[in-house]
Amino acid sequence: MYRKQVRRRRAVLTLLVIGSFLLLTITYGQSSGGLQRGVSTIFSPLQNVADRALKPARDLAGWFDKTFEARGENSRLEDELIVARRKAVAGQEALQENAELRKLVELNRGPALAESAYDPVTARVIGRSPTVWHSTVTIDIGRGDGVRVDDPVISGDGLVGLIASAQGGSAQVTLITDHTSAVSAKVVPVGVQGVLRPELGDPEDLVLDFIDSSKDLHRGQAVVTAGWRAQGLASLFPPGLPIGEVTSAPIVEQEASQQVHLRPYADIADLDLVQVLTGGSRS
Amino acid sequence: MIVTPKIFARLAAIVLLAVLLQLSFFSRVEFLHTSADILPLVVVSLGLLGGSMTGAVAGFSLGFFVDCLLIAPLGGSSLVLLGVGYLAGLFRERFEVQSALLPPLLCMGLTLLAEIGFAVVALTLGVDAPVSALVVRDMLLKSIFAFFLAWPVYFGIRRLLRPALVEESRVARRRQPTVLGT
Repeated sequence: MYRKQVRRRRAVLTLLVIGSFLLLTITYGQSSGGLQRGVSTIFSPLQNVADRALKPARDLAGWFDKTFEARGENSRLEDELIVARRKAVAGQEALQENAELRKLVELNRGPALAESAYDPVTARVIGRSPTVWHSTVTIDIGRGDGVRVDDPVISGDGLVGLIASAQGGSAQVTLITDHTSAVSAKVVPVGVQGVLRPELGDPEDLVLDFIDSSKDLHRGQAVVTAGWRAQGLASLFPPGLPIGEVTSAPIVEQEASQQVHLRPYADIADLDLVQVLTGGSRS
Repeated sequence: MIVTPKIFARLAAIVLLAVLLQLSFFSRVEFLHTSADILPLVVVSLGLLGGSMTGAVAGFSLGFFVDCLLIAPLGGSSLVLLGVGYLAGLFRERFEVQSALLPPLLCMGLTLLAEIGFAVVALTLGVDAPVSALVVRDMLLKSIFAFFLAWPVYFGIRRLLRPALVEESRVARRRQPTVLGT
């Protein structure tokens, strides 16, 4: 009797392990299957309710965490404010000069993508992946609200990610901190372009790779989406979306590895409301 | 564990609640830049209470459900969680869980094993980005959080599943006989 039980246990375990490997083999490298979309569609209303019900508890837990961090961040923010004020003044002067130059040159914006070509739809984050190996969030809008795969997603501070999958009333967003994420970006105002990749495990550190090492970059410079277009191909992101600022740009690293490090403007760890840039031409 | 339809419904409710709580609360609340992961914790608790089969099946189901909701490659989380649930159940079948400290310690150790398992699966499937050493810090902190969360989770699940648990022999309390007049 005991041996029979042991054999049955081993058989069930073997079946489950084989089932897991089969699932991995079948779904590896493919986009979401009908079963996953179906399960997600059925349970997204529950996730929505759970998200709203648990918000007060999340805010309370977040208050404790933020209080510990606030002190250290205060002095850093004061320094940043001084630099930002100087830049704002310089920016005002540049804007005025730009307007005058445009009048002179009669610049034609043409078909270049602008944020106004998109229809932003606000969404609430209702779920988040538990591990660093898959940085995704679930939002409470989907195909019924005009959301489509590869729509850019932004927060009030900057770029957040890209729609990976959309169902009727919910969608999954691949964050810029996910290992599959790669965003073409440029450093302003120097114009150096590169590919933005995450550093897994550290959501506050992104790497701008494949940059032109002949141009010197330095700390504090802003990084935005490049939004390139060439021969019928186009970046998934419109140009000019703020991404972050350069935090570390040692000359040695720029020349040897052709990369710099930056910190994203968006608080990826604490997303609540985001906007999906629906519509827009991607041809 | 004696699994009746009612107990099966409770097990399903525990799995559903665990996934919803993880995705809507624990994944979005960080302490020391790390969020807690209660999924291995729940699976280990079910394994410790129900045995290796309960742990393995609960782990597989929970992993499958999470991967469906997150639109992640199916099978990875299932494989890791079923392994962790099976090990927890195997421990329970081979040794007696007498100390109240043992379940939280096991939860901590097996959560660390689960996090290592998730890393191995992710790296085997291919990771296209550099991996920071902070991933190790993340794993260690998650296992420490699991130790503290095990107290409400394990004992809460035990209370919920009490009708199904096979009672272990208890040491009968010896009472002094009552003698009238003394």
